[in-house]
Amino acid sequence: MDTKIKRLIAEVLSEMGGAGAACSDESSAPATSDTQPDDLTVENLKEQLLVPDPANRDAYLKAKGTTVSRIGIWRAGPRYLTESLLRFSADHAIAQFAVFHNVSEAFVKEWGLLEIKTKCVDKDQFLTNPDLGRELDEENTELLRKHCPGKARVQIYIADGLSSTAVETNAKDTYLALVQGLKGHGIEVGTPFFMRYARVPAMDKISEILNPEVVVVLIGERPGLATGESMSCYMAYSPKVGMPEANRTVVSNIHRGGTPAVEAGAHIADVVKKMLDQKASGLALKK
Amino acid sequence: MRLKTVLFGVTYEFQDLNDVLAKANEEKSGDRLAGLAAETITEKIAAKEVLSNVTLNDLRNNPAVPYELDEVTRLDQDRVNERIFNEIKGLTVAEFREWLLCYQTSGGDILRVSRGLTSEIVAAVAKLMSNLDLVYAANKITVTAHCNTTIGEPGVLAFRLQPNHTTDDLDGIRISLFEGLSYGSGDAVIGLNPVNDTVDSLSNILKMFQEIKETYQIPTQNCVLGHVTTQMEAVKKGAPADMIFQSIAGSEKGNSAFGLNAAMLSEARDLMLKEGTATGPNVMYFETGQGSELSSDSHHGVDQVTMEARCYGFARLFDPFLVNTVVGFIGPEYLYDSKQVIRAGLEDHFMGKLSSISMGVDACYTNHMKTDQNDIENLAVLLGTAGCSYLITVPQGDDIMLNYQSLGYHEAAALRGLLNKRPIPAFEAWLEKMGIYENGQLSKIAGDASIFIR
Amino acid sequence: MKEHILSVGIDIGTTTTQLVFSRLTLENTASMISIPRVEIIAKEVVFQSAIHFTPLRSQSEIDEHKVRELIEQEYRSAGITPDQVQTGAVIITGEAARKKNAESVLRTLSGLAGEFVVATAGPALEGIIAGKGAGAAQESKKRGATIANLDIGGGTTNIAVFRNGDVIDTACLDIGGRLIRCKDEGGEVAYVADKMRHLTRTMNLVINEGQSLTKALSEKIARRMAGILEEVLGVSPASQELPFMLNDHDLKRDYRIDYVSFSGGVADSINDIRGEADFQYGDLGKFLGKAIADSRIPQQLKILKAVETIRATVVGAGSHTTDISGSTISVSPSALPLKNIPVLKLSAEDEALPVEAWGEAIRKKMQWFNLEGEKQQMALAFKGPDNLGFHEVETLAAGVIKGMEDVLCKDCPLIVVIERDLAKVMGQTLLSQLGFKKDVICIDTIKVENGDYIDIGRELAESNVVPVIVKTLVLNY
Repeated sequence: MDTKIKRLIAEVLSEMGGAGAACSDESSAPATSDTQPDDLTVENLKEQLLVPDPANRDAYLKAKGTTVSRIGIWRAGPRYLTESLLRFSADHAIAQFAVFHNVSEAFVKEWGLLEIKTKCVDKDQFLTNPDLGRELDEENTELLRKHCPGKARVQIYIADGLSSTAVETNAKDTYLALVQGLKGHGIEVGTPFFMRYARVPAMDKISEILNPEVVVVLIGERPGLATGESMSCYMAYSPKVGMPEANRTVVSNIHRGGTPAVEAGAHIADVVKKMLDQKASGLALKK
Repeated sequence: MRLKTVLFGVTYEFQDLNDVLAKANEEKSGDRLAGLAAETITEKIAAKEVLSNVTLNDLRNNPAVPYELDEVTRLDQDRVNERIFNEIKGLTVAEFREWLLCYQTSGGDILRVSRGLTSEIVAAVAKLMSNLDLVYAANKITVTAHCNTTIGEPGVLAFRLQPNHTTDDLDGIRISLFEGLSYGSGDAVIGLNPVNDTVDSLSNILKMFQEIKETYQIPTQNCVLGHVTTQMEAVKKGAPADMIFQSIAGSEKGNSAFGLNAAMLSEARDLMLKEGTATGPNVMYFETGQGSELSSDSHHGVDQVTMEARCYGFARLFDPFLVNTVVGFIGPEYLYDSKQVIRAGLEDHFMGKLSSISMGVDACYTNHMKTDQNDIENLAVLLGTAGCSYLITVPQGDDIMLNYQSLGYHEAAALRGLLNKRPIPAFEAWLEKMGIYENGQLSKIAGDASIFIR
Repeated sequence: MKEHILSVGIDIGTTTTQLVFSRLTLENTASMISIPRVEIIAKEVVFQSAIHFTPLRSQSEIDEHKVRELIEQEYRSAGITPDQVQTGAVIITGEAARKKNAESVLRTLSGLAGEFVVATAGPALEGIIAGKGAGAAQESKKRGATIANLDIGGGTTNIAVFRNGDVIDTACLDIGGRLIRCKDEGGEVAYVADKMRHLTRTMNLVINEGQSLTKALSEKIARRMAGILEEVLGVSPASQELPFMLNDHDLKRDYRIDYVSFSGGVADSINDIRGEADFQYGDLGKFLGKAIADSRIPQQLKILKAVETIRATVVGAGSHTTDISGSTISVSPSALPLKNIPVLKLSAEDEALPVEAWGEAIRKKMQWFNLEGEKQQMALAFKGPDNLGFHEVETLAAGVIKGMEDVLCKDCPLIVVIERDLAKVMGQTLLSQLGFKKDVICIDTIKVENGDYIDIGRELAESNVVPVIVKTLVLNY
């Protein structure tokens, strides 16, 4: 009788796979309060294979290395293992935080940037009314005029867009690498600034106010679960309000897991150089 | 036509039928952004009251976008079966709603009447339905379609397997595809949204899909969701596609923002019937979503539910195998939170079914919306009970390429088990043959994608 | 946008000499809004020569002038001139003894095989190239399997083991079809390689030039040779003779082999043997093929048919030796191409140091490498830290300059090869810190190891990438 029950439990556990294995592992005692528990968000998902007894483990892991998709995550019945469920929720939380929190004033101050903002009064309005995120009121326009000399060859600025985290994490490194690269080409840049609640097309407005040759904005991308830190760089040669979107040049996916911030900055410097040489951007820009 | 009503002693008057249609909508941030939404809840109810007394004839005679201006309107109006329309044109929207819901009205009856409906009628009745009404009425309607297999049979819940990849890396796509198959997803379609909309890239992916389908003898259909013109070019050059995909809008202007028109889609369909790899006759796949017309400024001052219904009126002209709304993809400026997404998902599904199309839903959301995975799991259960033909799945709900969340591969088995549904029969037989399904549910080896690597 | 490069592969083997031209297609596979990511998306052999017997001056010397004539003739047949060729490899394979005049062969061919064509050899690399040409690497990736490819030529058997597309092991044995050669089809022995003399002696046989071989005796010898292959693959226990027949190191045999494939001239005799073997080619090749077909190898391991057999090495040399750099790099165009640059790679321990300490670590390593104290050309390689900030890049660049200044010759470019995607910013920072007064070649997404040699070609016109060949061993010249 006893063995029968044991066998039954063993069968159930083996059907549960990873979870079952964890249960039967006597050495994995629960963490006591004085030890630091593992941070579940640190695990590299590409290297994590939760399928307990895969037909081909090496090939599975190798294939997982080709994608950041959440695969090989196994299941409890037809549902997720607790670990994957929690990881997903944690990643969603951080992605939402990237959108909904404001770029900290400390970040702007430490850098010593002028801060201006669009016509949006708060994040909620920014998210539900995209048009306001491309406009500036008189006060902010004046502030900009006073602080940033016009007609720079290249005007770079930072905007929160849809991920404050992306900007806080990457913007400064990209900016510094970009400025170094431009300097190498003998190109000087205008005074940078930070723009809150801003959408990409706000750059057209900036162009009309400051009249630089090229406008460059480093702006947070709408985060995915795997990439809450992803930043984009939009550039245009002498953009005007209402110009076709095709006139913009974009470099996206700037983050630790995509193109590193510093490497992107170095690349963007060459792109900007090309724009100045050809006096064009977007689709009109030749290789 | 009466455009005025009184509620709690207050008189509400509306400018025209479009105004009534817009204000009768359940709350949507997109209608508010467009400046079309009711100011107050009571104004919304007033609009519903007015709408409930409008006749189907009035709706027919007042298309949301004028006939002369818009190809979508013209095709919709000209398609109507006049005999059937004449039988029902005297009904008010309220009476039509009750007819749809009553025990005596069968799914077959509804499909027949559907031929006499314009998109505005479809939209109007949806606006008077509660969420449960939308589920209940949609569940009556069976629309089947055949590409390589048959979708839409009662008791069947199919899933699109969407193995998207950030760089279209074939190895990355392949492992995601295997993973999905190992959970029983992929009977609706194996369909990828490509990063690179080029003929070569599409062809390479299609060839890989075809090779996998042939190697493992999988009874399903494939599609790579590039632009219609790129797909046509690929097919002309011999790429093995079962279907051609296109995103569509509810107005001519909206479609032209997508770079297409009706003639182009007809040409695509003819091409697929001649040179596609599928059995057919249904060889088209469309995606839609509330708010897309407003985002391209092609909504003509019309609310997003009505524009969405017009997408389905347009889609049905091309006998699609699949149509789905990508309901939460577009962002909080159109659908603000979970409440709005769930409502929109149910509306779209119902309107699609009432338009006689093979309707599915991509139950999804972006990270800048006030929604989470629990909300779309809720929506998925509701849609499953509403008889939705298929849902979309990606690995654990995380689409790494489009940066949004949908349902996960796991949900296929969970929802089928829960709702007493099954995969498309031919696909289920294949799952059993591969050992992924055993006695109608996931086997011990299900969830191990490496069974396909050998 | 697609760009093509023409690659040549020349294989001068113990028995045969062959040439192929391959077209490599490069394309930016990133979307328009991403930073470019240029990849080789297709490799296609566009011309293959006839299979020539390698012209010999003596048993151990290649007739380099006749080889040159032969190659020139094949260029003409293909309608290709050397200046059209952008990359490729010349490989002299086979018995070590045959390479006596290899250097002069290569010198004779230089200039003929295009500007950026490198001569390369070494048994490990030969085996890898043959395995790639045979399709074993690709097939192992596709099947998620471990595949051992045995390239069996006239003089040697080069083994490369691939798991999921990566090389995990190599070995080279002096087992081949022409280690004993006959005067004609009659079986009179004309030549016996030293190692075969030894191997037959352990069988209590004495084989000498001038003696006539019977078929039975030939079969017996071939069976012993096949036995050595069984041993190296682990299907028979290793005998005392195995270490002696190995050219360098043994296989590790601490993994499971899922499939075996055969390439090289003898492979066709394994596949095609009908009835009895004979001395058709004046050697034991057919006997060896039959002995392998009858051995325990196909009984105990699954056999995969190679996509190329006798051409595997030349196709490998033409199509599979060239890699390309990452797409954001920093190169001074006038400094390219570069050939046979020794690589000095930082160890994992070095890389674990804080960036401030890298300069000193590089300097120490350089001094150790550069014992003679003579300044020379070389490349510094490292994996590169993850997630570097700009100021750390500056610190790192300063460290690289400081660490390299004592050893790097005055007019040599500063060459840095990084595994992580960092080369553009690192290159720009190096240039900036050097006051733009020195050429800098800084490339990434290339994995090299300490002791490798590297060739870096000119920047391609459209793609802004450079072709790179990493050589795990270079011929001694």
